[in-house]
Amino acid sequence: MNETSATDIRPLVLVEGLRKSFGSHEVLKGIDLSVQRGEIVAIIGPSGSGKSTLLRCVNQLETHTAGTVTVAGVTIGPDSASHDRELQKLRRNVGMVFQSFNLFPHLNVLRNVSIAQQRVLGRSQAEADERSMQLLTRVGLADKAKQYPARCSGGQQQRIAIARALALDPQIMLFDEPTSALDPELGLEVLAVMRELAEGGMTMIVVTHEMHFAEDVSNRVLIMADGEIIEQGPSREVMQKPQTERARQFLSAVRDR
Amino acid sequence: MSEILGLWLEWLPRLLGGLWLGCKVAGLSLILGIPLGLVLALTVQAKSTVLRAATLVVVEIGRGTPALVLLQLAYFGLPSAGLTLSAMAASVLALAVCAAAYTSEIIRGGLEAVAAGQKEAADALGMSRLDKLRFIVLPQGLAVALPPLLGFSITILQGTSLCFAITLPELISQAYAIGASTFRYLPALVLASLLYAAICIPASMLVGVLERRLGAHHRA
Repeated sequence: MNETSATDIRPLVLVEGLRKSFGSHEVLKGIDLSVQRGEIVAIIGPSGSGKSTLLRCVNQLETHTAGTVTVAGVTIGPDSASHDRELQKLRRNVGMVFQSFNLFPHLNVLRNVSIAQQRVLGRSQAEADERSMQLLTRVGLADKAKQYPARCSGGQQQRIAIARALALDPQIMLFDEPTSALDPELGLEVLAVMRELAEGGMTMIVVTHEMHFAEDVSNRVLIMADGEIIEQGPSREVMQKPQTERARQFLSAVRDR
Repeated sequence: MSEILGLWLEWLPRLLGGLWLGCKVAGLSLILGIPLGLVLALTVQAKSTVLRAATLVVVEIGRGTPALVLLQLAYFGLPSAGLTLSAMAASVLALAVCAAAYTSEIIRGGLEAVAAGQKEAADALGMSRLDKLRFIVLPQGLAVALPPLLGFSITILQGTSLCFAITLPELISQAYAIGASTFRYLPALVLASLLYAAICIPASMLVGVLERRLGAHHRA
């Protein structure tokens, strides 16, 4: 029970010596990262820098080649000799939101949000649906409950995906470029939901190209390049006074756009 | 012309009986074969190498052997191995093996068409392997596989005409028998093919409609 108490000073996420190779190409070259409860960490950096891979290692959608990943007391070693059970235990505490939403197209919105509550947490359909409706109301989409995802806009789909992840009461939420597939306008409604979550004290790791979000909402920014964290620290400091040349180069490139 | 129509009317009950028998054989072999095809589609992706290899052998034999040969093996071959089947049972068995082998490939294709992101979403939600398959992958994969499965079912119905070779009194056997006793082969066989067409053409059109509908549903 200790590991879930709010006063726990151990980091919620601890990544140590994480390496990941695809074939002979090493995309993560020894990452150390710890995230405290309630922290909001933004990961930015050029494409191919390994930021999405790092995020996907946290909930083990990618297995890693060396090092360990610990989330809420569940530790996973390299190349996942881990059993499905361990993985499920880890994932139970971690919500994830994908760039391409990945809603289930054959289920209506309500079922999308309810199904894992029933199958993973063992809630009854009535309990699950009630929780789903709460969350859909919270993201402003209660009226879409009976629609199919294909009938919803991209921004709506992403808000539904956030509700779906929240429905399992995760201790941490991972966001993998949640607004990259959206028009700027639709992206804003997703960012608004994320801001609210942040204000509510949710622990979040956000891979993003939204520099405003990184600077204003997150507590800490990590800049990655070539599989390494090249700079990290309090958001404003990193964004405004980057120490390394590579980070300066990246930040001025994204600001010039 | 009216003479032929008269003959057709006279032969129709007998040929319809043959068609009905063909439909029964096709139906039964699909009822047995498609679930088996689903099992094979799943075991071909199994972790166990033995299971995978065994599946491949079954599927390759099933697809590699002409249906006519399967029929003859079941009817003329199995008795030497101590199993004597009626023409009906042998037909169902042989066509079920054939259907299982082919539909396993159709279903496997459907399951593989399910986007990787769907499986990742189910994984990220902590769903078990079985739940992921049952609630996420199968419903979507089978929807993709449905039109080709129906198309294959039509092929199997036409394939029942091969059961002629093992004395099953299906449509073609009946038409041939009528031809043999009246020497009117052409009108008898033409009527038989019209009866096949009366089922197969509307069924193919239905598959087309279904394909368009499912396509529309899945475009996100």
